[in-house]
Order: sequence, then C-alpha cells, then structure tokens
Amino acid sequence: MSIALRGIGKQFGEFAAVQNIDLDVPTGALIALLGPSGCGKTTLLRIIAGLETPDEGHVLFDGRDATLWPIRDRKVGFVFQHYALFRHMSVFENVAFGLKVKPRRERPAPKEIRSKVQSLLELVQLGWAGDRYPAQLSGGQRQRVALARALAVDPDVLLLDEPFGALDSQVRHELRRWLRRLHDELHFTSIFVTHDQQEAIEVADTIVVLNRGRIEQCGVPSEVYDLPTSAFVHRFLGQVNELPVQSRGGRAYLGPIDISAASALGTGSEANIALIRPHEIEVGAAASGWPAVVVAVRVIGPIVRLELCAEGQPANEPLEAEISRERYEGERFVVGQKVGLRFRRWQLYPATGAAA
Amino acid sequence: MAAAESRTAGRSPALARALLIAVALSFLGLFLVLPLLTVFVQALAKGVGAYAAAILDPTAWASVKLTLLVAAIAVPFNLVFGVVAAWAIAKFEFRGKSTLITLIDLPFAVSPVIAGLIFILLFGSHGWFGGYLKVHHIRVVFAVPGIVLATIFVTFPFIARELIPVMQAQGKDDEETALSLGATGWQTFWRVTLPNIRWGLMYGVLLCNARAMGEFGAVSVVSGHIRGLTNTMPLHVEILYNEYNYAAAFAVASLLALLALLTLAGKSFLEWRQPELRHAARQGRDRTRREIT
Repeated sequence: MSIALRGIGKQFGEFAAVQNIDLDVPTGALIALLGPSGCGKTTLLRIIAGLETPDEGHVLFDGRDATLWPIRDRKVGFVFQHYALFRHMSVFENVAFGLKVKPRRERPAPKEIRSKVQSLLELVQLGWAGDRYPAQLSGGQRQRVALARALAVDPDVLLLDEPFGALDSQVRHELRRWLRRLHDELHFTSIFVTHDQQEAIEVADTIVVLNRGRIEQCGVPSEVYDLPTSAFVHRFLGQVNELPVQSRGGRAYLGPIDISAASALGTGSEANIALIRPHEIEVGAAASGWPAVVVAVRVIGPIVRLELCAEGQPANEPLEAEISRERYEGERFVVGQKVGLRFRRWQLYPATGAAA
Repeated sequence: MAAAESRTAGRSPALARALLIAVALSFLGLFLVLPLLTVFVQALAKGVGAYAAAILDPTAWASVKLTLLVAAIAVPFNLVFGVVAAWAIAKFEFRGKSTLITLIDLPFAVSPVIAGLIFILLFGSHGWFGGYLKVHHIRVVFAVPGIVLATIFVTFPFIARELIPVMQAQGKDDEETALSLGATGWQTFWRVTLPNIRWGLMYGVLLCNARAMGEFGAVSVVSGHIRGLTNTMPLHVEILYNEYNYAAAFAVASLLALLALLTLAGKSFLEWRQPELRHAARQGRDRTRREIT
C-alpha cells in the first residue's frame, strides 16, 4: 500500500511537533524517518498509524483519504521501542491476539490460528518459545515477538518506532539485517523511526531527515550522506569537522589552503563554514599542505582515527581524520608527529544557517 | 587483626538486621496481633454459648446483613468509578486534571463525621432536598440509602488512588498495540487493560471493602441508630459496648474481624490458585524494578 502525506501539521499546546509535511511512500518501500529527539519523527509515525490526529493536512492510503480512519481500520502493524508485549499472555497468545479479536465471521478457526502463529514464530526464529512469557525472553527475542504479533494480522504497512533502540549493539545489528531480509521477502511497506543514522543508512531504501518538525532532506542513503543540502543534515549523518572560511584579498581560505577555485559558495564578505568528513582529510608528509601535529591515534577495527591539531587552530578543537588500517600499518603515525593536511572534499554553508 | 576487623564489620549488618526485624515484629505483635487476639479472647470470655447467642441475636444478625449489603453496593460503585477516573487521569490530558485528582482525595481530607453531616444537610428533613423527599415518601437519612451514600463517599478514593499510579506507569503502549491489531475498545479493556491492572484493582477493592464494612463516623451520623434496621456492625458493637454488654460487643467485633481476615484469605487464595497471575505479578515487579534502575 502506498502512503502519501499532504501538508501535515500537528501542535501540542504551543509546540509545533510537525509542520507542513509532504511525503510519498511508494508501495513496498522501506523508509527511515531520521532525526534528533524532538524533531517530530515519532509524531509523524503516530499520525500515519492513526494514534494521533493531525491538526491540518491529509494522510492518503492508496490515494484514499485516511486522515480520520480509526487505527483498527488502517491495517497497520505498529511496533513500539519497548515492545509493548502483553505480559499476562504467553508468546503464543501475544501473536494470536490480533487473530482472536477479529469479528466471528472473519476469525480463523482455532486450528488455523495455531498453525499461523506457529509459522510466524518460526519466521522470527522463536518456534520453541510459544509457551514462554515475555518476561522470560531477552530484549531481542521480545522485539521479534512484537514483530510476529504485528505481522499476524497481515498488515499492509509496518510502522516501527525506534524498534531497536533498547537493544545492545550486537543484537541491534543482527535484527537490522533480519528486518531488511524480512522486508525483501514479504514486500510490505515499512516506515521506521530512528535517531541512529547508522541504522537508517544500513536498513532503509530512502531516508527522510527531519529537524524541528520539518523535512530537511529526503533521498537514498548515499545521496543524503554524500550530498547533504544543509549543514544540519551534514552534521547529523556522521562525523564532521567544522572550519571557518577566511577571506583574504578576495580569495577564500581554509587555514593556509586556497579554496577559491573549487568553492561554489560565495567568497565574499559573508561568513561561511566548511564541513569536512573525517575520511575526506588527507594526511600527508609534513612539507605539504596545512601543517599539523598528531595529538591522538585510535585504532577502531578496520579504520584508524587521528586527532590532529592544525596550525592556527585552537588546541582544544582538534580535527578528526580517518585513514584505513592498511595505510596505518604502512605509515605508523605516532602522537607528536608533524604532518601536512589536504582536503579531498568539503562543503560550504552560510555560517548563520549552519548554527541551526 | 585485619581478620578481626573484617569479622566485626561482617557482624554489624547481621546485628542491625536482627534488631530491625525484632523491632518490626514486636510492633506488629503489640499493635496488631495482640488487639486482634484480645477481641477473640473477650468474645469467648463467657463461653461458646454466650458467643453464639450474641451472634444469633436478631438485631446482631440484622447488622451483619446490613453491613454486607452496604459493602455490596458501595464497593462495585467505587470499583467502576475508580477504574473510570484512573483511566481518564492516566491516559488522557485534559483541563482540570489536577483538580480532579485533588477532588478524589477530598474524602481522605474531610473528617467522616462531616461527610455524614453533608448528607444530613442535603437530605435531612430540613435539608435542601428534604421537602421534596418528604413529599415523595423517600427516606434517605436514617435509612439504608443514607448509609450507602455515606459509605460510598468515605470509600471513594481507595480504588482510584490505587490504580492511578499503576496505570500511569504502564502508559498507553499496550492499549495502542491492541487497537492497531484490530481490537475494539471493549476488547482492549477486557483483554489488555484489566489484566494489566488487576493487582492494583484487587488491592484497591480489598481496602475499599475493609473500609466500607468498618466505617463508623459518617455512618453513625446518618444512620439514626435504629436497632435491627439501620445499625451496621460497627454501630452495633458500639451500642452493645455502651450497654456494658462486653461479651456480645466483642462477639460482633470478632465477626467483623473475621470478615476482614476472610477478604485477605480470598486474595491469597486467588494468587495461589492461578500461577499465571503470580507470574504476571512477578513480571509487573520486574518491570517496575527495571524502570527504577
């Protein structure tokens, strides 16, 4: 089922949770709503689910106006961050709940319910756990029960509110991959909310970045990561180094590096800021580029992170650069070593906008 | 020497524990067990025959029936009100919510005697509705309806007070999940909300029932003390006591105490009978613990 939002707005008292949101989710898409806490992503998800009513705008399901449909008519599966399993019911009863509350003429026979629940439990790799109670399961297992329960009623749309937020990183990683596989097998439309950019990039087809109740940017993960349209998105998706652009004699500089030729954004008097990702900094021999001193070296699995104090920069704001492990094995940077920096890529933003 | 030190260090918490338990137990014995025992000892002081006679006395028996009737009306009424009020307060945001919470506590703050007087002022022969009631031959004050009203007023907060924190802690996730799975509001209430709150509810009912049966002040004002007609058990105990009929007074009192013990036993029995309930209770505790840490 395709979902479209048209001019959605919602106020909580004085606080505008979401404003003027337009979004199209095609059938079968897996979309991430990404943003910091308080950006309105959960409100938006709850509006789609029917748990909140928007103050303005429309929610369209397959082109039909569903804005005022009650939640139980929407055929959405909703998964909460804290699972919301019914703790007085066994795992089996939890998954069977949606089938058992159907009106009598739609309700499957007990035998059918049993086999369907069992196959769903197999699907989430919990075929053995039907008799257990939620309290006897681990966090990852509980979240899989919650997913099986949501899938039991054959929803057209699966909505997940920070589904892996309460799990530790190993389990989280596993469940992300599993969710992606499940989505590819079953072809429902999924929207999930997360504040974790890594998660959004790993799982989603499309990322919608939200900030202060508005959509900042919407696109495929690589596009949003590589071509952010605002400093906010640039900062939110991964690590960045920030450097002020200095203009001297009609030319623009980052430290001693002249960037006039390559910079699109004004070289004029307005203050600009350059955002550079750690892997876009090239660390070379001391003689070339911007002189800097290595102040810390941290090996993180396949990458090595260097903290660099560049000449003329405040000592408490070192730049972060990432190099590959292979390169590090060859060159062995050590603390105190003098190096030269170049920038492979950077992006300029007006300083005022960047402060947002 | 280090060993000796560590031994004393190890002993002092044990000592403290023993001391604390001893203090708690002796308080319990002094203020709970001893009075309760006294009631039964006094009741049986003149032999089993006198005890049976005191209980089988028609006026005593009438007071037992009246007490049970009042509790049977007041408790379900406050049960419904308590669930509705706790639901409204815990799951919705609305204007005047804090006022409602304060109002629910009003019966705790007001002396029961004043609660009784309120109903005299409203429904007594010189009260606001007195004239109307007289014309239509409806007796409220000095009759069963007045006693029920006063009891409801006094026991108003028990169930709501017990449920509000439970429901607030549980949030709305479970209900919203049930709705998204296609359950109706009614199904959601019976299958999800009620099982989630049943422990708080049961405890609230227990407290409410105990108070409904034991209420003295408010009921005393509106009852009129008509023997065999408007005397509840606590009032009957007082009358017998004032007539120096100690054995009978304590006999009825022992019956009242027995009713209280029975409710407690009923709760324990339910817990013991249904392991799944025990399990749910344990989970509830785990959950609270998780939320605290």
